[in-house]
Amino acid sequence: MTMNATPPLTTPLIEMRRVTKRYVEGQRDHAVLDEADLQIQTGELVVLLGRSGSGKSTLLNLLSGIDLPTSGEILFEGTDLGALSEHERTLLRRHQIGFVFQFMNLVPTLTVEENILLPLELAGRLNRTQRDQALERLDFVGLGDRRTSYPDVLSGGEQQRVSIARALAHEPHLVLADEPTGNLDGDTEAQVLELLEKAVRESERTLVMATHSLEVAALADRVLRVQHGQLVEVDPSNPN
Amino acid sequence: MRLLLRSSRRHLLRHPWQMGLSALGVAMAVAVVVGIDLANASATKAFRLSVEGVAGRATHEVTAGPRGVDENLYFQLRQAGWRQAAPVVEGWVNTPELKRPLRLLGIDPFSEGEFRGFTRSLREREQSGELDRFLTARGTALLSEELAQELGLEVGDELEILASGRVERLSLIGLLTPDTELGRQTSRDFLVVDIAAAQEILDRLGRLSRIDLILPAEDVEKIQALLPDGTELAGKSARAGALDQMTRAFRLNLQALSLLALLVGMFLIYNTMTFSVVSRRPLIGTLRAMGVTRGEILRLILTEATWIALLGTAAGLLFGVALSRLLLQLVVQTINDLYFVLTVQGVGIPLMGCVKGLVLGLVGTLLAAFRPAREATEAPPRAVLLRSLVERQARRALPRLAIVGGFMIAGAAALLAIPSKDIFLSFAGLFLFVMGYACLVPGATFVAMRLLKGPTTKIFGILGTMASRGVAVTLSRTGVAMAALTIAVAMTVGVAIMVKSFRATLIDWLSVRLQADVFVAPVNLSQSGATIPADAVERIKNMPGVEHAMTSRHARVGSPFGEVRLQALELTQPAFDIFRFTTGDPDDHWRSFRQGAAMISEPFAFHHGLAPGDTLELLTDQGPQSFDVAGVFYDYSTDRGLIILDQEIYHRYWNDRGVTTMGIYAAPGIPPADLLTTAQDAAGNASERLRISANRDLREGAIEIFDRTFVITGVLRLLTIAVAFIGVLSALMALQLERARELGILRANGLTPSQVRGLVTTQTGLMGLVAGLLAAPLGVLLATLLIHVINKRSFGWTLFMDVSPGILLQAILLALAAALLAGLYPALKMSRSSPAWALREE
Repeated sequence: MTMNATPPLTTPLIEMRRVTKRYVEGQRDHAVLDEADLQIQTGELVVLLGRSGSGKSTLLNLLSGIDLPTSGEILFEGTDLGALSEHERTLLRRHQIGFVFQFMNLVPTLTVEENILLPLELAGRLNRTQRDQALERLDFVGLGDRRTSYPDVLSGGEQQRVSIARALAHEPHLVLADEPTGNLDGDTEAQVLELLEKAVRESERTLVMATHSLEVAALADRVLRVQHGQLVEVDPSNPN
Repeated sequence: MRLLLRSSRRHLLRHPWQMGLSALGVAMAVAVVVGIDLANASATKAFRLSVEGVAGRATHEVTAGPRGVDENLYFQLRQAGWRQAAPVVEGWVNTPELKRPLRLLGIDPFSEGEFRGFTRSLREREQSGELDRFLTARGTALLSEELAQELGLEVGDELEILASGRVERLSLIGLLTPDTELGRQTSRDFLVVDIAAAQEILDRLGRLSRIDLILPAEDVEKIQALLPDGTELAGKSARAGALDQMTRAFRLNLQALSLLALLVGMFLIYNTMTFSVVSRRPLIGTLRAMGVTRGEILRLILTEATWIALLGTAAGLLFGVALSRLLLQLVVQTINDLYFVLTVQGVGIPLMGCVKGLVLGLVGTLLAAFRPAREATEAPPRAVLLRSLVERQARRALPRLAIVGGFMIAGAAALLAIPSKDIFLSFAGLFLFVMGYACLVPGATFVAMRLLKGPTTKIFGILGTMASRGVAVTLSRTGVAMAALTIAVAMTVGVAIMVKSFRATLIDWLSVRLQADVFVAPVNLSQSGATIPADAVERIKNMPGVEHAMTSRHARVGSPFGEVRLQALELTQPAFDIFRFTTGDPDDHWRSFRQGAAMISEPFAFHHGLAPGDTLELLTDQGPQSFDVAGVFYDYSTDRGLIILDQEIYHRYWNDRGVTTMGIYAAPGIPPADLLTTAQDAAGNASERLRISANRDLREGAIEIFDRTFVITGVLRLLTIAVAFIGVLSALMALQLERARELGILRANGLTPSQVRGLVTTQTGLMGLVAGLLAAPLGVLLATLLIHVINKRSFGWTLFMDVSPGILLQAILLALAAALLAGLYPALKMSRSSPAWALREE
């Protein structure tokens, strides 16, 4: 089923209208997305499934304005991303979007605490209240005692927990997670996912998570499979 | 930005060797530029102070030909109503205690008025009655307090000086008390005596070196109307300007060499910043995804560059000041050898020189860092860009880079083809050419590594393949370091070929010009007007064993181009063999010469745009006189140029029968050593005032001066190589540390530490070899430009290029040695590191 059936109850946080994204590799013209539509409401937890190279990361790039579609429109809170300049799209990410990556990507030369405060500082909101709230998130992810540590002394799971705290520090409207557990063992994966879900649900944020793990789908409100350039909704309880 | 800046600062501090080496590279480059600049500025200042001190407040001066101004002219001027006129006799004398010469200044205390900075001393002496002693007692002198202290003299003591080949004793009757600080500085090395005493000491009875005048502009024409033929009136600034101009090309060449060091330093910064950006691309991508704008990334990288620049520039300024003391000695030595006597008390540290160094260091570094910083802003958000992709992009850019390089070389060729004497234009062409060639280096390295893959695999097996491929696939990092090393080595080769060619040309020229067996000249040859006593000339000419004796008068005469050097040659048979002409039939030239035409040296023709068939105006004692230019001859004795006239013609126009030098040719069968002894005997009493030298000694002396002149060039070459070496070391360190994981995997799979060392060393060796191979042709091209364009446009000399395979081999070995040496530490470090650590680090 093509994902265009859910009727909007309010203005969607994100709306994709007939979005096509093509890549030209040598002689080959490859459409990752082909006139795909999508609406995501505020507070939803959406999981994107798909094989490697199916276009999950491309979709996340498009939703965050990192990349632009070849055709079609992507609206973020009603604003057409294609109408914004590169600078404006960067500022939009700065204020409205949080990222969790597969390879954590913490700044190695900043301490855990500084990594979490970085998005706040970029957003120009580094006051005492915000700072305290951000550091509470560090306690929330269970790393309150590692504030002054540098990322290179943390384990992979700990680093990913810091990434989650960082992604939420500036209270973005949308959190994008790209294979956040792809680099972790089974137990740690479960812990991190639980933490991520809890953090997003408690703060009523919207989460779009790309993964190839079917277990993750059980956490989602909706599960979409990226397949042949289309977004196909699948049953979260039976994503196969 | 606060946290980002903090992160950036920590990044620098976490890579101290990378930051330290970059800062060191900037420091050395800035030091070379500042060192040369301060040395040049100090020499120029010393020279201006010396002009200022001697000319004082005079606005004009009256000078005449080789014999100086007739002192009666001074009395005529006074009688005609010009009271602000002061006669001066000056020359250089030596003391046993000091290595530097002192300026003997003969003045008339009553005429001095307000002319010079020590006038008050004279007034005080007048009041105390000492002035009478100064005027009447022979052998009294005044000198500065500093000089008296340096010589350990007190008032009443005697001072021994050597002048005109004689030892004179002067009694110190007082100290100069300058009116101002400027006066103090300018009169430091003065030995002030009464004018009559100076005439006697310097053998210039009845003659003056010049008459200083303070003239209102409207009186200039009136004075000119009064002057007899052979004398001229010139503004003070004209004299300072002419002498300043004399050393301009020399100073400019030094500056250009120092800027080449800065260029190599800029490559180093470019390399470091490129590496820093490329290795942090994933992080930059993350920051971009988090909402850090392109402008903020640009500012971040440039801030890092600024830190390196500030650290490097500050160290460079300090090092530059220290270096300038060494360089100043070399600069002054060269100026003294080639141009005029200059004494410098020390290196001044002018604010402007330091500001210039600061600006060059900061701007140069930021300019070099700008492109890598721009590239950083183009990193796509998210950590998706793989290193292999970066390298693929770098390889794809190679043809574009080569095309840019080709255009730059074409632009350089166009600039150099412009028929202009502008040295700046020539250097701009040279720099553009070097930059263009540098753009070709990464592409050439890629091709060379592919070609070398076969042989290295055959010799070193799979490790050889890895080594050659390792360079080719890391061009984004190695390319710039290779370019820097290539340029530095090429510059060394280019300058070495130029110096060697110059030396060979000079030796060849000396063998043609110095054919006489014995040469005779006054001890103080550099002192204008010094001559060999006439009786000694006659005795030496007529002594037994002489086949030919050729006399020559060296003089400085006025011309529309200012004061020019003239040699009046006695036309005997050997004269026809000691000149080589640039064009035309020598027989025709000599025929015209006999009829009164002048010959001019190649630099003279170049500087004044003259050619055979043109006419040349000279100020003779009979007034201005035009001479046809018969021929242009090769001459390397002075870069300002020389005019040759037949001595008979000279005597016709100048009332001067003096002889400055003699060349004596031994009759067949007479050993030159015997002729030398005979000449010393024949000189009689005059022998202690004369330098009687054998041909070989004179040649060796000339070569010694030549070698001394190029010591400074050698120092600059070494410093530039050092900067390039730091660049290669920095690049290799970065590269090897970046490959820690790859090497860790290899170690885990059984590669021994010695094999790791071998791999790294083979790789650095290949880089050195290719840099050397690329540097050799660039070196030859640079030498060609230096010899046929820069040198020709700076000095007007034709040098005959002499490229030996030895020099090219040296270039390859130098590049190889520099690269191997630079790879030594990274090789050791990587072989000693634990594979577990290397794997974990990633």
